[in-house]
Amino acid sequence: MMSFIRKRAFASLISLILLVVAVFFLSRLTGDPAALYLPSEASEEMRRQFREIHGLNDPILVQFGRYVWDLLHLDFGDSVRRARPAFEVVSEAFLWTLQLAVITMTLVTAAAIVVGSLAAFRVGGFFDRIASLTSLIGASAPDFWVAIVAIVVFSVGLGWLPTSGTGSVWHWILPIGVLFIRPFGLIVQVVRGSMINALSSAYVKTARAKGVRTRPIIFVHALRNAMLPVITVIGDQAAALLNGAVVIETIFGFPGVGKLMIDSILQRDFNVVLAAIMITAIAIFIMNLLIDLAYALLDPRIRY
Amino acid sequence: MIRRSLIWGTLAAATMLTPAFAQDSTVRIVLNEEVDLLEPCMSTRSNIGRVTLQNINETLAFLDLRQGGGLQPKLAESWEQLEDGSWRFHLRQGVTFSDGTGFDARDVKHSFDRAMDPSITCEVPRYFGGMTIEAEVVDDHTIDFKADPQQPILPLLLTLISIVPEETPVEFVREPIGTGPYTLTEWTPGQRIVLSQRDDYWGETPAVTGATYLFRADPAVRAAMVATGEADISPSIAALDATNPATDFSYLDSETVYGRLDHSVAPFDDLRVRKALNLAIDREAFIGTLVPEGALLASAVYPPPTLGWNEAVEVWPYDPEEAARLLEEARADGVAVDTPITLIGRTANFPNNVEILEAVQQMLQEAGFTVQLQFYEVAEFEDLYSKPYPEGRGPMVVVAMHDNSRGDPSFSMYFKYASDGRQSGISDPKVDDLINRAQAATGDEREALWKELHAYLHDDVVADLLLFHMVGFSRVNERLDWTPTMATNSQLPLADIAFK
Repeated sequence: MMSFIRKRAFASLISLILLVVAVFFLSRLTGDPAALYLPSEASEEMRRQFREIHGLNDPILVQFGRYVWDLLHLDFGDSVRRARPAFEVVSEAFLWTLQLAVITMTLVTAAAIVVGSLAAFRVGGFFDRIASLTSLIGASAPDFWVAIVAIVVFSVGLGWLPTSGTGSVWHWILPIGVLFIRPFGLIVQVVRGSMINALSSAYVKTARAKGVRTRPIIFVHALRNAMLPVITVIGDQAAALLNGAVVIETIFGFPGVGKLMIDSILQRDFNVVLAAIMITAIAIFIMNLLIDLAYALLDPRIRY
Repeated sequence: MIRRSLIWGTLAAATMLTPAFAQDSTVRIVLNEEVDLLEPCMSTRSNIGRVTLQNINETLAFLDLRQGGGLQPKLAESWEQLEDGSWRFHLRQGVTFSDGTGFDARDVKHSFDRAMDPSITCEVPRYFGGMTIEAEVVDDHTIDFKADPQQPILPLLLTLISIVPEETPVEFVREPIGTGPYTLTEWTPGQRIVLSQRDDYWGETPAVTGATYLFRADPAVRAAMVATGEADISPSIAALDATNPATDFSYLDSETVYGRLDHSVAPFDDLRVRKALNLAIDREAFIGTLVPEGALLASAVYPPPTLGWNEAVEVWPYDPEEAARLLEEARADGVAVDTPITLIGRTANFPNNVEILEAVQQMLQEAGFTVQLQFYEVAEFEDLYSKPYPEGRGPMVVVAMHDNSRGDPSFSMYFKYASDGRQSGISDPKVDDLINRAQAATGDEREALWKELHAYLHDDVVADLLLFHMVGFSRVNERLDWTPTMATNSQLPLADIAFK
């Protein structure tokens, strides 16, 4: 097990290094920050001074060398726009995204497994049809539209929930509710498909013949075997949420990492872009590792 | 039992955490973009200024756009121009900063020098291009500013300098200290900024005791927040959402949309062609359709309350027959009126940008012009908009939006119309002379010169294709007595807000 984790960590480290190199050079292609931060009438001298202060005057390889050297000392550099350490800016935002992703995915997983399993138990039955229809609608509804409609209905119309922002438990309900819909729709479909397979297998028939009740058949015998493909999809969806839900963050004024990343790219705030990409990449690496370990836990045939 | 009490406990705690929908003397203001810096020398950046200017940090003087009172004293009680052309400011006494230190001339000098210091990249120096200014302390309450060349509008320029204590380091600060009626009490990045009233403010105590600033990028959400009472003021909402006359106000937002013509390229070197271009546009037809109600037809590149606004200048009428006649006349004289003209826009520059330019294109074509429409991203657009202009360019109408809320045409005229102005399409000795003389003049003479230039550029030179002075929309909670002004784009003094 430990050697597996070590191997995976090493492979991820290589991807991370390649990612940092690529992003460092590609982000420089978006243009000169001096052109964005200084007015068009700024003199060449002002532009030179600006680049000097932010270390943009040196040849790009020198800049890269300095960046790597600082990084080895855990210094991610400063944000040009915010005049604060980039790591601080990104970690604040990432913490919000992490909370949002963990809560949403926990709820989605629990709900989707229950609904998907029950739908699979009587294929073509009333519950199955309702579940399939709602999950299909959920998986295909555009989230910016759902978000605005939710605000109009629940905040402006009914006055039950705050429109946006943070500060109390109530503020979390709309963003989580809207974020919930799409992965829920997808995962219900996968659970249903996978459970239909499992429920038609020989060991379920044996269990039924032996008179085991419905609930243990679904949730004890079949579910564990049906979970492997489901976990893969959960991992994909969770990774998407960890990258930040830009639309949701923008509409609900949630200070997450997705919007920060987009803003920083537009603001040519390279250090923040790099820090955000590294931190989310590390989080996704850890999550993938946990998913691999979960495979082994669920299926004794898998050994690392 | 335990579970039930846990549930009720959680619900009760959550209710307590919900911010009370205050009916008190504090206000909540929702801005369109996160304020990620609260540096006083960056207060010319729209949302930073809305939080800091005249709330945390004050200036020597301020431009009164609310009552139209012109330049008014703030931290300076009076000022005068000395014989050598420099300016002397007499400072207010008995003023303290929020950290308890007293305010004197050395603070003013430090604030100016700090904002101009090249080792921090403040936004202020952009307004002081082409001049050198030296601040000299005369005594504790008197300071001189010597400018080379002389600056008749120096007091106006100093409305851009936020005053900070002498001890402020020359680097970006995160806890601004000022002489204003409020201090920063909480700043949670990305979420909120809270200001609270000071007890020891030198001036009149404002009605608003505190303010919370929130940030939402989506205009529909900002409008909804004021509608539900989660916020009291949203300085900018979309025209589409401005549907409630009790809470939604339009205001002239100091932006002017115009098409810049390059007179060095045929056929724009011909006066008749430029006149035809202006006569071909039915400007009235845009108002209330593609351009929101309340917008004004433009006759200058800056809006009406600016010094030297010439009321006598009349916007070009819509007269397609006259336009066609002028074009025919020019064609008969051998002017290349059939050369394809490129109408150039910037993507997402202002609402209905694309539709407005398509309509302009159509109107010009109906008058007999051949027009292509092209859109560019900011950086590429800038290459076409600012000198040096590309070699071998054809005739272009570059449609841009220009902002001047500073009250004086000098912030626009040199760049837009002087022969070596960076965004000028003309080279006219009389214009150059008028600009130079107006910039050096004061008082009535200055006003008269700007008026003359306004009329000359519009009627005689027909310098460009002026279109609209744009409007913005704000939503304001009905409990407040406050309306937006042209200054709302750059500042939002809480002292201006009263309760009904």
